[in-house]
Amino acid sequence: MIRRPARLSRALAAPALALLLPLAACAGTDASGEAAGTTSGSSAPSGASATPDAPQESAPPEEAGQRIEVSVAGGQVSGDTGRVPVTAGTQVTLVITGDAADEVHVHGYDLTADLVPGTPAELSFAATIPGVFEVELHEAGTALLTLQVN
Amino acid sequence: MTVLAHGVGSRTDLPIPIGFALYGAGAAILASFAVLLLFWRTPHLGGADSGRPLPAAFQRLLDGSAVRRGLQAGALLVAAFVVAAALAGPDDTSRNLAPWVLYVTFWVGLVPVSLLLGPVWRVVNPLRLLHRLLRPLSPDAPGAARLPSLGLWPAAGALTVFVWLELVYPDRSEPVTVAVFLLGYAVVQLALAQWFGEDWFASGDGFEAYSTLIARLSPWGRRSDGRLVLRNPLANALATPSQPGLAALVMVLLGSTAFDGLTRTVWWQTGPGAANDWFSGTVGLLLSIALVAGLYVLGTRLSGRLAGQDVRIQPARYAATVIPIALGYTVAHYFSLLMLDGQTTWILLSNPFGADGVDLFGTYGNRVDLTAVSADLTALVQVGAIITGHVVGVVLAHERALRSARRARASDQLPLVLVMVVFTLGGLGLLFGF
Repeated sequence: MIRRPARLSRALAAPALALLLPLAACAGTDASGEAAGTTSGSSAPSGASATPDAPQESAPPEEAGQRIEVSVAGGQVSGDTGRVPVTAGTQVTLVITGDAADEVHVHGYDLTADLVPGTPAELSFAATIPGVFEVELHEAGTALLTLQVN
Repeated sequence: MTVLAHGVGSRTDLPIPIGFALYGAGAAILASFAVLLLFWRTPHLGGADSGRPLPAAFQRLLDGSAVRRGLQAGALLVAAFVVAAALAGPDDTSRNLAPWVLYVTFWVGLVPVSLLLGPVWRVVNPLRLLHRLLRPLSPDAPGAARLPSLGLWPAAGALTVFVWLELVYPDRSEPVTVAVFLLGYAVVQLALAQWFGEDWFASGDGFEAYSTLIARLSPWGRRSDGRLVLRNPLANALATPSQPGLAALVMVLLGSTAFDGLTRTVWWQTGPGAANDWFSGTVGLLLSIALVAGLYVLGTRLSGRLAGQDVRIQPARYAATVIPIALGYTVAHYFSLLMLDGQTTWILLSNPFGADGVDLFGTYGNRVDLTAVSADLTALVQVGAIITGHVVGVVLAHERALRSARRARASDQLPLVLVMVVFTLGGLGLLFGF
């Protein structure tokens, strides 16, 4: 609720920014990660926490959370691939299993996690930024899925 | 690298809500018929000699060579700096200034700037300055006489190359690609300008032609006697000189933006474009331009036939009336990119070469705020831009028809107006994602 006025004023300032682009040396100061930090869940791993070493502890899915699982084998992606709709504010847990070492990258939210062959990597974050975002493997350039947050 | 991004970018827009799409479509169709049937029945807008002249002193200053050379030198420095940053800055696209400057700040930013200030790139084009310096090497420009017959065709070609780079070429976002493109573009343009003379840039520099085209909808015009005037943007658009290739240029812009929208749909990503390689992209881009151009030629020729006019001159005669539709598409597709991912330029400007501890403007630690423009506002701007472009286009076409035949029947304009409705519904459909 406190965020509303700030966002509105920034939205109004945005067109002005376009006109003054050459003069405006400053851009948005809010980290998108900070926006993602407003989790609704209580016991959730707070905010944008990448879990690089993919712990085996079977993270209990949030009651209101959404679990999205994909696996990559020989460059082919299976599981929850394609366009995945997510309601804004949902705690999303991405679980990626691959057959080669790589790095998972969630665009926009700018989250990364190291992918170790055979071990599921997990990324948990609150989907608070609306838009369409791609999740890809950095090294191979493989598109895993597209998050549609609305 | 990424499937979704145009040139660069971390996100794409959500599909517009179905309600927006339907309201937009209804408004477009209603407006079209209102214009045809209810609006004026005689030419209404000022001609090429209309407008309020600006003070002579102001024009002397603006047209003076000192101001122009100065601005061009400034732009040249910026361009050299961007190439240097592309080559010597960080390899990672997300940390290198150059791709963001080229694909967002310059390419997209050129639209609002030209719309507000007029044909700015013609004034500040750094290639014109370099050409002045190179001119003495071969002063006789053997191709100059041929240039008028080429018209804007070379610019349409140059822009096709650029939109291919931006939308199709797989390594488009690599800093090295940007440096090679900028240097290669400058070399080719300068060589052609040696052959054709300085007027080449208006004809063959895609960016200058683009800026000049958008500026046709700005309030800044030039009367036929060369006087700078302020006038109704609609009159300005209709005063666009008829040049060979004008329609082609507009079609490249419209078709490429449509293709950009197409590549964001699930249909494309899982269907024809699933391979996400340069082949499917190239074919898709060329087909999009061809489809849009084909519809346009069909509509104008049918309208001409109904009106009993020479059908061959129709596509050229109505080219200016499609500029607002192309502009509407452009705004709808690039607004959020400029507002959101465009912030990256100003962040990276604090440390263009990625040196440790450098933070010139104190922005280097900032993150792009992807919530700066809400999804609702984006959708509103998108639908608003498409509908505004459509209405202005139909109004211009109506006025143009009345000028070419005083007693033009409204029904004669129907084929062209229907094609415009198709463009608009297609544009809304692409935003909706089908």
